[in-house]
Amino acid sequence: MDGRLPVEEGYFVMPDAQRPRPRLIGSYSSQARTWFFPHRKRCPITFGPVEEVLLSDEGVLYSWTWIENVRYGTFRGSLAPHGVGQVDLPEGVRVQTRLIGGRRDWRIGMPMVLDLVPVSTDEAGNELCTYGFRARDQGEG
Amino acid sequence: MTRLEGEVYVIGVGMHRISGEPVPVGDMAYEAAIAAMADAGIGFDAVGSLYNGYASAGMLTGVSLAKDLGLTGVPITHVENASATGSSAFREAVLSVAGGHCRCAMALGFDPSPRAMASGGSASRLVSSLMRPSVEGVLLPAAFFAMWAVRRMHDAGTTVDTYARIAAKNWNHARHNPFAQRRADHEVTVEEVLGSSMIAYPHTSMMAAAVGGGAACAIVADRAMAEEVERRTGSPMVRVLTSQLQSERYTEGHVFLGAVVGPPELTRSTARAAYDDAGVGPDDLDLVHVHDAFPVEELLYYELLDICGDGEGDKLVAEGATQIGGRIPFSTDGGLIGRGHPVGPTGLAQIWDVTTQLRGQAAGRQVERARTGLAHMMGAGSVCVIHILQRR
Repeated sequence: MDGRLPVEEGYFVMPDAQRPRPRLIGSYSSQARTWFFPHRKRCPITFGPVEEVLLSDEGVLYSWTWIENVRYGTFRGSLAPHGVGQVDLPEGVRVQTRLIGGRRDWRIGMPMVLDLVPVSTDEAGNELCTYGFRARDQGEG
Repeated sequence: MTRLEGEVYVIGVGMHRISGEPVPVGDMAYEAAIAAMADAGIGFDAVGSLYNGYASAGMLTGVSLAKDLGLTGVPITHVENASATGSSAFREAVLSVAGGHCRCAMALGFDPSPRAMASGGSASRLVSSLMRPSVEGVLLPAAFFAMWAVRRMHDAGTTVDTYARIAAKNWNHARHNPFAQRRADHEVTVEEVLGSSMIAYPHTSMMAAAVGGGAACAIVADRAMAEEVERRTGSPMVRVLTSQLQSERYTEGHVFLGAVVGPPELTRSTARAAYDDAGVGPDDLDLVHVHDAFPVEELLYYELLDICGDGEGDKLVAEGATQIGGRIPFSTDGGLIGRGHPVGPTGLAQIWDVTTQLRGQAAGRQVERARTGLAHMMGAGSVCVIHILQRR
């Protein structure tokens, strides 16, 4: 344990000694030959069973934005500006995700890798993290 | 596809102004319902079924506030479908009349402004869900549509200027809507929209839906009752030609997680079902309302509703075809950007404007010779709801 915890269980597994990056937890339907994220209780196409799988930790940026104000309209939030993107994994899964980097770092079609994004701290001082992608050419963080 | 059997007509509509002010939700709902009944010239005892649409007003609110309208024993049901809540309440009212369950049904949409929720004892579920640390909670609604916008710029060469033109149009349409949240005291320019603060690239604050509270009401009835109302009030009969609601089908690149209304094809399949059932096509429409929370949505819906071909939406904007006076005006009351998006009332505010337009009563923003109008809403989760109305 390195003082970092998932902000919510069931969406990704944390990095460890054998696995330097987090991995998203998805589902695979052998009947539909289709992968899903996040996990499904059953295949939404065939209604058949799905098996839990760890998805690729690399993908390609499908789209992105940079959030200046974390809510639109009347609200003004306290979260810092940040990037959000959609990343296509080789399995055919599109993941909506926080992006790690600055506002001018993004280009549609660029290779991305999975990492962790701290979003909060619990009462014991652990850093609560969600998953996020960053540009592969930014190097390992 | 749902076939709308039987003839159903809108006989009364009413609104309470949408605003950011902390007006009690019961006051707003009461005013809208009374206005709709006055418009139809009926009393509450004529209402055979009531569908309340609200997303954040709190449990029991709908049944409780109906007591201000009267204790008649009328069946009351709460409907919620995120942004499409009002549209879904209207659909339930339409189906209840079409199915012969009652002769006359009321759909009443209301929700408090975020300021009212924040200042009240009951904290906003919306606010708390956005602030709660969770995987989904850190992905915000504004991001989803902004990513649509960035991808559209990449795929079709759409410019930020085009998004600003759509937003400015809707701000200017709202100037002539007495119930709109945003009523500018001057003609809003593209430069103003572009110069407002950035929300989520490429969307600025003036491109974003106005978030407030409000109420809207529509009353529907069978043909015989509608004819009686027409004789009494002199308002032309407006028929509901179709009511369609679809949820998602799996598509390539399906996004399951994070503030989603999509995939965009959901609008296309729902629209085609609506055209099929209504027996009209996109060329027959005189005005259109859509879920324009951000201008990229309105742009994409031009194409997904088959108003123009794929990739041709930008041209419609450049030609001014979607402003009042153009070939096919969109968001004639200001849409979500100008009129506002209070959630529960939003879809019913669309019905209010379409009905008013088809009757020829939309002073200041009237679409000339309007006979047929379409109202489209998306509800996160997600669903698409489309109604087509036509003056008899």
